[in-house]
Amino acid sequence: MQINDLTLLVSVPIVVAIVNLFLPVILRKILNFLALIYLLVLNIQILQAGMGTVVLFGQTIMQVDALSAFISLFIQILSFIILIFALKGVDKSIEKAFLVLYPLTVGFCNGVVFSTNSISLLIFWGLTGITLYLFALLGNTSDTPNSAKKTMIIVGGSDVFLILGLILVWFMNPIGSWQLFGEAIPLKGLMAYIAFFGLLIAAFAKAGSFPLHSWVPDFSKDSPVESAAFLPASLDKLLGIYLLARIVLSIFKLTTVMHLVIITLGALTVIIAVMMAMIQHNGRKLLGYHAVSQVGYMIMGVGSGSVIALIGGLFHLLNNTIYKSNLFLALGSVEKKTGTNNLEQMGGLGTKMPLTFLFALIGALAISGIPPFNGFFSKWMIYQGMLELAKNASPGYKIWLLICLVLAVFGSALTLASFMKFIHAIFLGRRPENLDNIEEAPANQWISTGILAVLCIVFGLWAMQLPIKQFILPVVNEYGLAIPDMLGYYNPILILLLFGSVLLLGLIIYWSIRKVRYDEIYLGGMEALEHFRVMGTEFYKEIRNMSPLKAIYNGAEKKYFDVYDVSSKCSFSITRFFKAIHNGQLQLYNLWIVLGVLILLWVVL
Amino acid sequence: MIAWILFHLFVFPGMLFTGVLGLLVGWLDRKVSAWFQFRVGPPILQNFNDFFKLLGKETIIVKNAVKPVFIVAPLAGFAVLTLIATIIGLALFYNEGFAGDMFVVMYLTMTFSVMVILGGSSTGNVYSSIGAGREMKLLLADELAFILVFLVPIVKSGYHIQFDQILQYQQLNGAVIGSPSGIIAFIVGILCIQAKMTLPPFHIPEAETEIVEGPFMEYSGPLLAFWKLDHYMMYVIFPFLLVILFMGGFNLTGIGILWAVLKYLAIVVVMIIIKNTNPRIRIDTALNFFWKYASPLAFIGVILAVLGV
Repeated sequence: MQINDLTLLVSVPIVVAIVNLFLPVILRKILNFLALIYLLVLNIQILQAGMGTVVLFGQTIMQVDALSAFISLFIQILSFIILIFALKGVDKSIEKAFLVLYPLTVGFCNGVVFSTNSISLLIFWGLTGITLYLFALLGNTSDTPNSAKKTMIIVGGSDVFLILGLILVWFMNPIGSWQLFGEAIPLKGLMAYIAFFGLLIAAFAKAGSFPLHSWVPDFSKDSPVESAAFLPASLDKLLGIYLLARIVLSIFKLTTVMHLVIITLGALTVIIAVMMAMIQHNGRKLLGYHAVSQVGYMIMGVGSGSVIALIGGLFHLLNNTIYKSNLFLALGSVEKKTGTNNLEQMGGLGTKMPLTFLFALIGALAISGIPPFNGFFSKWMIYQGMLELAKNASPGYKIWLLICLVLAVFGSALTLASFMKFIHAIFLGRRPENLDNIEEAPANQWISTGILAVLCIVFGLWAMQLPIKQFILPVVNEYGLAIPDMLGYYNPILILLLFGSVLLLGLIIYWSIRKVRYDEIYLGGMEALEHFRVMGTEFYKEIRNMSPLKAIYNGAEKKYFDVYDVSSKCSFSITRFFKAIHNGQLQLYNLWIVLGVLILLWVVL
Repeated sequence: MIAWILFHLFVFPGMLFTGVLGLLVGWLDRKVSAWFQFRVGPPILQNFNDFFKLLGKETIIVKNAVKPVFIVAPLAGFAVLTLIATIIGLALFYNEGFAGDMFVVMYLTMTFSVMVILGGSSTGNVYSSIGAGREMKLLLADELAFILVFLVPIVKSGYHIQFDQILQYQQLNGAVIGSPSGIIAFIVGILCIQAKMTLPPFHIPEAETEIVEGPFMEYSGPLLAFWKLDHYMMYVIFPFLLVILFMGGFNLTGIGILWAVLKYLAIVVVMIIIKNTNPRIRIDTALNFFWKYASPLAFIGVILAVLGV
């Protein structure tokens, strides 16, 4: 095996992690920082060269193509920005372990993205699952062990399906090698479907899509906030959707019905997760559910079979990693200052933490799809893709696709709703008296959220010129897909300029004629007491209590729809049955033996 | 080119045109409402007087408010509405697709509500916060139906989402409202814009007698003047939107001008009549109404449109 950029991209972070084991904290930080800068440079070189292979035992293990190069670039970018946040403020008790796990995860993720060989893909994929579990264990809440276990079981359990899928793909592979991404296999016959769904389950579990989403909110709540921004919000999304893109583009040739199934799962993910997010009282859990809901858009886009939607879906993946990690980190800054992530105990911090507020607001508007931020552009492309598909479908499919479209568009209104609640509960409204002495977050934290906020704006304004042209269109070209015309028309820069000029005029008018007086809140003459504080958490009580949503919400809170809980209940009831028949009484055991012999005789004779 | 765009933005059909027409139609609203209550009503320029008088008044700002948000929100709301007015007006008067399509306008209308919510909740006043929460819930209530209403002309026109293409389709094939699906969507559309403008019976976020103008409670002086102007501008924007989507736009030659005025006034008068004959409903009633009755009705419209009816 020769040393080239590609091997370095995987091995350097792993070596850094090992070296970090023996260093003091400050050196660990410096080493991580330098290593990530180096990886970033390496990755840009790889992206520009567009080629590179790693051969081991005569097999091609890793190879660069347009998709892997740009996904891995965003792995380095996001890791770098989140590391800036983690330079100061990570919980002292876990800081050492955190700084070892961090580069390790980056290395494994790079390994996944560049693997073209089933076995190396599987190994790296499994290793990222293990680091995810270790990150989950770093939390310090009372639920941490449970959440970590849940994460491990769902993500690790899905690896079984990945193995099954990869083995079946090997069987069906015309060349009969472990090389993936050769010729696409048509989706015909039972074996192909089992393999397809096996791989799909792995991708969905990693990305956190319905129905395998339930680890994401719990992980977000109980693990350190940096790791919530790092893994479920960005890196795991990149990996999961990367695998999904490979499944639909390189590994299988999908049928129309399968495209429709994936679109439907995407739409359901959007709406179910966002409905759950709306009623959360815990800020991290709210963001966790949104991390799930946004996956729905990506799945809709990538799995739809429309090229516009594919571009939109991949673009949405980038956008989501940017604004979701921004929001997690902003919440993290607030949490480190106030000591709580319960939305009810916060409020009015906009005056105390103006920069964090501004960046969080940009993130919130971007995720809600407010033009001209980046979230709108990708959603807009996905919607167009849906309409384009509907245009050429039969009436039944048309209606089905339009329902999915409506759910997705409405989902973004619901996203807006829950982020208005989020912003109101933390930064606006009335400040509780115990938070009067809060100060702005440390510089490294707001620089980190600030960079992400700026990316939200840049990717929104120059979407076509920058991210789509540089990263996504090469992928589309590589797969030989024709780039279609847009159905709609949208010029973000013009919109911003027009909006800005009118706003400026308004500000000038206000500035030139204002006569300002400052006064207390007016409450009809009453004194504005602390208990007249409206917490954003109560905004959607009416929706929570509306029939039939009330029954659904009650069921969801009892975890009736959680795959993990339902399956663990099933397996427990089976073991209870076996426990009951193994009660230690000899007579009963004799009875079982006799019964067993009888059954055996009946079967044999 | 730039001068032309600026003219569109600031004069016609953007800021000045929409503002002036809005204030005039606001007068019509007040006059007709007065007739409903056996009053005389204000003189025609009353709204202008109110606006300019408010501009000269003092601005009172809450000490603990998040001041930048408090000040920028009404002005940003004004800018968003001007932008929507320009996009819609250019499609309507010049048959020109400009800056954005239907999805863009749909999301921009949401942006206005965002401004109301941010402005209202920046003060920390309990009534403002309650009003902001209600504004959001009302948006959720009407948005679902609104999306479905938008889909009907999209489907009818062969999946076009640009305003000028939808107008073009209607010029060739007759207005969307001429079909059963169009009628259904138009009726639901009127209800939606009634809610989007927070006119009775959906003035739940403001609810003067209950939560004292809700989000706008702490506003005064020029900032309040902008909120009022924003409200009146919506009297122009939303009816124009319905005219484009369902009534085939305006034909501004000869007798067409009369038709154009009649189309616009017909929608406004229906809205004023609904406004004056209905008491305020509770927010949960509004949610139930829109999610359980109006949206399924609009969905039937979409199905009919897909089937070509």
